[in-house]
Amino acid sequence: MLPQPGSTTDASRSVRSFGLRPLTWTRHFAQAANPPATAPPVKKDLQVPQISPLEKRLQDMGPIREDGSDKFYGMENYGNTCYCNSILQCLYYSVPFREAVINYPQRTPMESLEAALAKNLRYQNPNAYLEAEALAAKQKASSPPSARQAGVPPNLNQKPEDKESPEYKKKVALQTLPILETKNNATSYGMSESLFTSLKDIFESVAGSQARIGIVRPQQFLDVLRREHEMFRTAMHQDAHEFLNLLLNEVVANVETEATKQAFAEKALPPTESADSLVVVPSSTGSKSPNTTRWVHELFEGTLTSETKCLTCEKVSQRDEIFLDLSVDLEQHSSVTSCLRKFSAEEMLCERNKFHCDNCGGLQEAEKRMKIKRLPRVLALHLKRFKYTEDLQRLQKLFHRVVYPYHLRLFNTTDDAEDPDRLYELYAVVVHIGGGPYHGHYVAIIKTEDRGWLLFDDELVEPVDKSYVRNFFGDRPGLACAYVLFYQETTLEAVMREQAQENQATAAAAEASEAGKSNGSPFSPPLAHAQSAPVPPESTAPFTPLSRIPTAPPLSTYPEEPSEPHLASPRSVQPPLPPIPDEPAPPLSPKKSDHQLQKERRAMEKEKDKNEKNRQKEQDLLNRDIHRREVEDLRKAIEASRADSVDFAENGSPRKSSSFGFLKRGSRSLSQRLSKEKEPRVSTSDLSTAPLLPEAVPEVLLKDAELAQQFIKQTQPIKRIHSAQPVQSTVSSPRDFPPISNPKQPKQPIQPIQPIRAPEPLVKDQHTSHTKPGHTPRWRSFSFKKVS
Amino acid sequence: MFVLPPPPPRYTIPVAYAAGAANGMAVPVVETNNIITHPERGCPLQVGEGTYILQDDLLLATPPPHPSEAPIINPNPLATLPTPPTSGVKLSLVTLDPRKKPPVFLKSSLPAPQFGDGNPALAAPPVAAKDVAKRRKPKNNIIKSSSSFVSRVITHETSAKRLGDRDLSGIFAFANINRAFQWLDLSSPTKEEHLTKVLFTKAHMLCHDVNEYTKTPSHLDIVMGSSAGDIIWYEPMSQKYARINKNGVINNSPVTHIKWLPGSENLFMASHANGVLVVYDKEKDDALFTPEANGHSEEAGRLPLEILKSVNSKNQKTNPVSFWKMANQKISSFAFSPDQRHLAVVLEDGSLRLMDYLKEEVLDIFRSYYGGLICVCWSPDGKYIVTGGQDDLLTIWSFPERKVVARCQGHNSWVSSVAFDPWRCDQKTYRFGSVGDDCRLLLWDFSVGMLHRPRAHQASTRNRSSIVLPNSQNANRHRADSGDNRVRSDSNGTENYNENLDQTPSHPVEPRSRTALLPPIMSKIVGEDPTCWLGFQKDCIMTSSLEGHIRTWDRPSESVKS
Repeated sequence: MLPQPGSTTDASRSVRSFGLRPLTWTRHFAQAANPPATAPPVKKDLQVPQISPLEKRLQDMGPIREDGSDKFYGMENYGNTCYCNSILQCLYYSVPFREAVINYPQRTPMESLEAALAKNLRYQNPNAYLEAEALAAKQKASSPPSARQAGVPPNLNQKPEDKESPEYKKKVALQTLPILETKNNATSYGMSESLFTSLKDIFESVAGSQARIGIVRPQQFLDVLRREHEMFRTAMHQDAHEFLNLLLNEVVANVETEATKQAFAEKALPPTESADSLVVVPSSTGSKSPNTTRWVHELFEGTLTSETKCLTCEKVSQRDEIFLDLSVDLEQHSSVTSCLRKFSAEEMLCERNKFHCDNCGGLQEAEKRMKIKRLPRVLALHLKRFKYTEDLQRLQKLFHRVVYPYHLRLFNTTDDAEDPDRLYELYAVVVHIGGGPYHGHYVAIIKTEDRGWLLFDDELVEPVDKSYVRNFFGDRPGLACAYVLFYQETTLEAVMREQAQENQATAAAAEASEAGKSNGSPFSPPLAHAQSAPVPPESTAPFTPLSRIPTAPPLSTYPEEPSEPHLASPRSVQPPLPPIPDEPAPPLSPKKSDHQLQKERRAMEKEKDKNEKNRQKEQDLLNRDIHRREVEDLRKAIEASRADSVDFAENGSPRKSSSFGFLKRGSRSLSQRLSKEKEPRVSTSDLSTAPLLPEAVPEVLLKDAELAQQFIKQTQPIKRIHSAQPVQSTVSSPRDFPPISNPKQPKQPIQPIQPIRAPEPLVKDQHTSHTKPGHTPRWRSFSFKKVS
Repeated sequence: MFVLPPPPPRYTIPVAYAAGAANGMAVPVVETNNIITHPERGCPLQVGEGTYILQDDLLLATPPPHPSEAPIINPNPLATLPTPPTSGVKLSLVTLDPRKKPPVFLKSSLPAPQFGDGNPALAAPPVAAKDVAKRRKPKNNIIKSSSSFVSRVITHETSAKRLGDRDLSGIFAFANINRAFQWLDLSSPTKEEHLTKVLFTKAHMLCHDVNEYTKTPSHLDIVMGSSAGDIIWYEPMSQKYARINKNGVINNSPVTHIKWLPGSENLFMASHANGVLVVYDKEKDDALFTPEANGHSEEAGRLPLEILKSVNSKNQKTNPVSFWKMANQKISSFAFSPDQRHLAVVLEDGSLRLMDYLKEEVLDIFRSYYGGLICVCWSPDGKYIVTGGQDDLLTIWSFPERKVVARCQGHNSWVSSVAFDPWRCDQKTYRFGSVGDDCRLLLWDFSVGMLHRPRAHQASTRNRSSIVLPNSQNANRHRADSGDNRVRSDSNGTENYNENLDQTPSHPVEPRSRTALLPPIMSKIVGEDPTCWLGFQKDCIMTSSLEGHIRTWDRPSESVKS
């Protein structure tokens, strides 16, 4: 394999230490070498190549799936990047999140993806590694420790490597498994390179790959991360939770930027095309692409209500905040349930921490409690294991025993919360191993859709027992504790179905093992239910960790000639999994079917004027002001970029055919977005005055990163509009808000939660915009008008 | 630049010692003695009837690892090897004094039929000796045993004398701690000194039970279930033992709970971690078990009970007597009803299954609010069942009405054990206690009337004047309520799924807003390690903990109680 030039990672060092000749394996070469029949005779001191535990778990997977649910990739660690790897893995195996990332703004066509993958996916010859190792062993045996082969660093004076050690296994994995590079593919998404696009790059390449297992190199993702966020530039240990929060916020921001950009593109589209797009859109977006830009919100976002009761005037004031994850304080010998309850326990605001009561007009003592008003679909729970201790003046890790069940419901909901008894299932755990917050290691343990629980330890992916998840309560030696828990919504029916399947799998596995072979398809046909993955039965668990002798992967895992028609056809036949909005979602998620939308739109236009009168005047003023400024900025931006656009137009637009797809979708998402806005002040006339080239616009806009940033800022008030239902506003101007995410902030021990740090225009009854037709927003998107 | 130290190498953990070691407890190197302390500040439990005063805290010695077990040097936290199950210290108490027997609330004098009554193959063999004192003993002497299963047996040097001198009304306690099994005489002035300590080689005893029916001053039948699946029938007076399910020949999954069948001399029931409930006969030999009934693999795990060998089978020469598969989930615990006809089983999948075990059928299935269930017990009159689980709740279920009546919130972690206090129960009010992983002991009171109020509130006294609704009315009202609930779907509906598979009623999870919530009357942190067992005696409350603390609280004296 080829070490990355200039990279000084452990991985590449280990390559050199083994003295491997850099080999580039074409796919065909690798495949030729793969069948055991053609494998060169194995050295005496090596065991017969054995199937790895993961490969064993992945038997009988059937044809490669399109949705990426059957890909199990390790991630290369570039030196302390395990925080990133573990979080990325957790997000990848969140089915709705992965679907949304892959399908927003649209999915890269398989053909082009495959073309890219042909370059980026590099198969290695596992046997080459075996031989090299055997050679090294021989050399070691034959020569004294001082002997040095040319260019081979002395691996010789070390003790024989522990083949059970994770380092060894990772090394072997890096040498033998297919390596997947990701390339910046942002332009084909019609977006400028951002964390979101590089995340999408990773997800798409993994999902589109023909190899089920391998190692993905998130180099490009890290490059973007480090370019945009100074704190991640060092090779220091980072906080996985902070990274999660930052990543989600970045994805939100990138997607919103994209949406804004699409809005302009839409405006500039020639009428005929936009009319066309409307014909196409409903079908394509219905199944392929998340039809709002709010999918991150719909998944991870919940609403907290803090009720503050002034002890002087007894007035109860409420304030809503949105959150993407909950950070809970820990106590020794407690449970997650109890920590959540403590999170909502009453808190006295007194002494230096008094409450400013609007009613009494002054700082007063008050009682405050936080309850959950809107439950997120994916509940990310951050266990605050790193606590600031005054004595030491630094963060310390808490090794409290905190138990977490496989299933969860929230006790701390408000009385008016919808579906307060929602059932969650644990699907991923990020584990921190180490004595303190400044160093250590992160791994992720994830329940996959139909292959049970897997341990993702950077390059290494190993199947584990369901009960393994319980090893990280914090009470066992080894300093490993659960740090972030991911619970996803489920239903009792799904849980029971899963339990029944668990039984079947076990029974089948038991039968198979009794019969002495395990080809009886213990895992029956792919069950594509997010919540119904049969968790590996306990009896199948005793995979004795075979010393990971690198093996030729079985043919089934590596179908040959991925571009062959027989493989392509089942893919096209296979119905793509519905994106989030089509899944049976709780009534909370603000989404509408196209049909509804159209209806509502007509109704809205009729009631437009009537509604306007109902608006509160102050809001009007505020919003008008915001939007005026926004529009001004936008116009400035457009004008500033017009010069560039001319240049660009001369160079020719890089993609003509594909751009339509995304523009269509873009129009879709814009209209979606507008439909939820209460005050879409972006008037069509304003925008249509800007003569923009349809294809060039998005690029041009994005060329100027600063302008794009401005868009984010400007559009934030709109973004938030239907996220919360505030009763009382303590915010005067949305402009006073801190930047979108302040990664330093979450570590402050006082801060109980990390909501998105973004402005919330706290306007009354905004939530009604998608529930009551009378309050539904008006439509300004002229592309829609034309159709009607 | 900070260089990440490599993660520690992977070794397997002999987990038995891991829990203690993590809490700062040194892994013992040599055999040590039990230690008794009388904490000065005590740990008084204050409730309405008075104050329970901590009498003593007996710390059982954790045995050193067997020489064959490698010491843990640098355990790898990510080792993926499945670890053997362990359990905290559990106690089996036995007293021969009839005055110390708990009060009985059952009026029906109709004795329950014996398990497998109708099966001639199970008819008791002609009893040779009518003398009750002449109980049949197991065959092998545990002290002289050469079995590799038993490591060694340490008897107290004066145990014979102590046994002879002891007060016959005293309480014996049997306790497991790691690979040791101790026999203690709690009425002895030197109760910290064990009478006998059995050390096993690899397997750890996870549960044990004393046969109440066959106990005599010279004979105690004890069964214990191990982490290897093997079951030991042990008679401590004669130091004889027999091994059942040897090497897991019938079922090789760990034994999670074990109980003698009520009123049976020979039969006992063991639940295994693979979801199997087996009735064994202590007198019978093992035979390799092959399912007699054809399990339909498609239905496996969907039926609430798969009878792989019925008690009515004609083949009763060897163990098992019966073999039922309940689920593939671990059975956490089970309890026999006071009328000896029913069985409540709780599982890791969060279900509570009520059985008519004599007829080998499941009557009802309930679900926990969420998470697995861990412990279960019956009220002394058999009307209520209380379960505790991973939702940090205790749940009270009405057996005659077949519904949840209240959820009890008060623990900060999983509930590990629950027990009724029959000395403080009558027909209208009930007292039960619970312990959990939060190191707490909680006491709860409820009365029949109170439970049916929407929001239950604290009843610190035994209020007999409160208006008590007749049960039948309640039943009707609540039946209607639950009928309502069936319309609800989303997170709560469960029925449709099971009903098309079999006729066993599966009850939906009641939403929180509709269920009465009961607060504890007392909550106290009793130690620094998770508490795992709780028992009520006539004169005391006892708890035991993960690391081996056995604590005893004396009940408040009668004068205080007024």
